[in-house]
Amino acid sequence: MIRCLVVDDDSEIRQGLQAFLERFAMQVSVAADGRQMRQLLGASAFDVVVLDIMLPDASGLDLCRWIAQQHATPVIMLTAQGDPGSRIVGLEMGADDYLGKPFEPRELVARINAVLRRAGKVGAPRGAAPQPSRQLRFEGWAFDRLLRQLISPQQVVVALSGAEFRLLSAFVERPGRVLSRDQLIELTRAPGVEVNDRSVDLAVSRLRQKLGDSPREPRLIRTLRGEGYLFDVKVST
Amino acid sequence: MNWLKRSWRDTLFKRLFVLLWVTLVGSHFLAFSLVMSQIGRPDVGRDGGPAREAPSAWSRLLIFPSLPPMGGRADGPPPPRELAGDGPPPQPPPQGGRAERGLPGWLLALDYGVRMLIIALAAWLGAAWLSRPMRRLSVAAHGLGEALQRDAAPPRLDESLGTVEVREAAQVFNQMASQLQEQFKARGLLVAAISHDLRTPLTRMRLRLETLDHEPAAQRCVADIHEMDALIESVLQVFRGAHASEAPVSMDVLALAQSLTDDLVEQGHSLTVQGEPALARVQPTALRRVLGNLLGNALRYGERAEVTVALQGDRVLLSIDDRGPGIPEAQLESVFQPFFRVESSRNRATGGSGLGLYIASDLTLRQGGELRLSNRPEGGLRAELRLRRA
Repeated sequence: MIRCLVVDDDSEIRQGLQAFLERFAMQVSVAADGRQMRQLLGASAFDVVVLDIMLPDASGLDLCRWIAQQHATPVIMLTAQGDPGSRIVGLEMGADDYLGKPFEPRELVARINAVLRRAGKVGAPRGAAPQPSRQLRFEGWAFDRLLRQLISPQQVVVALSGAEFRLLSAFVERPGRVLSRDQLIELTRAPGVEVNDRSVDLAVSRLRQKLGDSPREPRLIRTLRGEGYLFDVKVST
Repeated sequence: MNWLKRSWRDTLFKRLFVLLWVTLVGSHFLAFSLVMSQIGRPDVGRDGGPAREAPSAWSRLLIFPSLPPMGGRADGPPPPRELAGDGPPPQPPPQGGRAERGLPGWLLALDYGVRMLIIALAAWLGAAWLSRPMRRLSVAAHGLGEALQRDAAPPRLDESLGTVEVREAAQVFNQMASQLQEQFKARGLLVAAISHDLRTPLTRMRLRLETLDHEPAAQRCVADIHEMDALIESVLQVFRGAHASEAPVSMDVLALAQSLTDDLVEQGHSLTVQGEPALARVQPTALRRVLGNLLGNALRYGERAEVTVALQGDRVLLSIDDRGPGIPEAQLESVFQPFFRVESSRNRATGGSGLGLYIASDLTLRQGGELRLSNRPEGGLRAELRLRRA
């Protein structure tokens, strides 16, 4: 049972979300403002917080930072402003995901599941796992995970598709480890997208192309016949 | 040719220089001719010289405005300065008959040269001195535009500096700047508030519709919610476009086109990309939005799109071809106006907000690019995006 806390100042949205999420076997509590949220978080443990960014008594960003520091519970931020700037700020403040209002209710369920999958076992606290940093470096390349782009050693911005981004994210979190296709399919799954052997292979070849990695003798993403792929670099923050 | 045009520019220095020069020459001419006309009269002159000498006095005008006049001949009329009676005694004639014609040529040139130099210096100093408040104003006005775009505090002019007129201008400028900033802020808050207040009820509606999952009408309502949300997003983009200034970087345009295309293909659309890697100097987020809008249009009206990236001189050319109905020639320019819609597309199935192309062309211009539409001879629309090559 996923324990979910919904924080929104609009009563109908709170109730609507509660009713909807309960259909997906979640145990949902609601809070109307920052004060209630702190009380509820202090009283019992939650697996995920769905937090509106605009609350009457506190800024969602401050609350987000507070949760990240005090409870380490994953946070999905909701916002009606849909400002790309606030998305970046929100993610930097420690939110795990970000959804603009109005959203597809099923999309929220998918995001909750994805966040919990990333955070580890459902029901277990996230522990001391550090917040993944925004920018990672390898072999002279910089990988900006918020803007979803690569910056080459020559300072050229190279855009990534969604599939390439998910694949590279999986690689940089596990450098020097052999990942089978099945593992990569599992790690790069996304709502509304079909991921299979072929799409993983395609994303690998596209990513090699963008990283200037030769397909014959790839140096960065190596193919291990019958085993899978290996991201053979040292990643630093 | 350009330097010639530049050197002919109307500057404060040139105006002052011309003014001073004309004043100097004019005053000399006037004073000298007045004086000479007095000398010419029979009853004037130290020794009441005979009237027949007047013509030779007038002939001295030929050497104007070279003052002080050279010493005259011993038997000639006295130089004007001596009229006051306190001048030095008349100098000996410099060189016999040449005195009648004034200074020797090189001295005349020296005389003119020195005057011109001093006047030029005075005009330059005067111009620098007088134009300083104007330059301050133009720097502040330039900074104002940037400050408004970046939402920073507007520059202020010192209201206690310079002449009364300058102080007044500074006050007016400061008032205008703070008013403008308040208006910009108010507009930002208004847009954010409208967006928030529209999206909150849309969210409620969307959640309510979840309880009516199997009603066909509910599905259409969901589609309407998406459409309204897309419109709100477009309006916000127009506002943000005027606001945000993103630093230009070099970007691989082919990689961007490939990424966006791959994402759309992943969602089941049919697109192709071909071309060569091409680096352009662009604002990445803005360019992403431009391409997103253009690809969205191509798919909405043309079902499939072909993207080509090529180098063309100092530009990167990205073209998007679709197989749609195109746009009537007469309306190819109008489609860049906000909320303009090609008549035939005014139905809900293909609607769109009417802002996509406006936003795309606005964001393209902001980064020094160019966006053009044309109908392809084989049918369909071609959008051509030209960007500065990095």
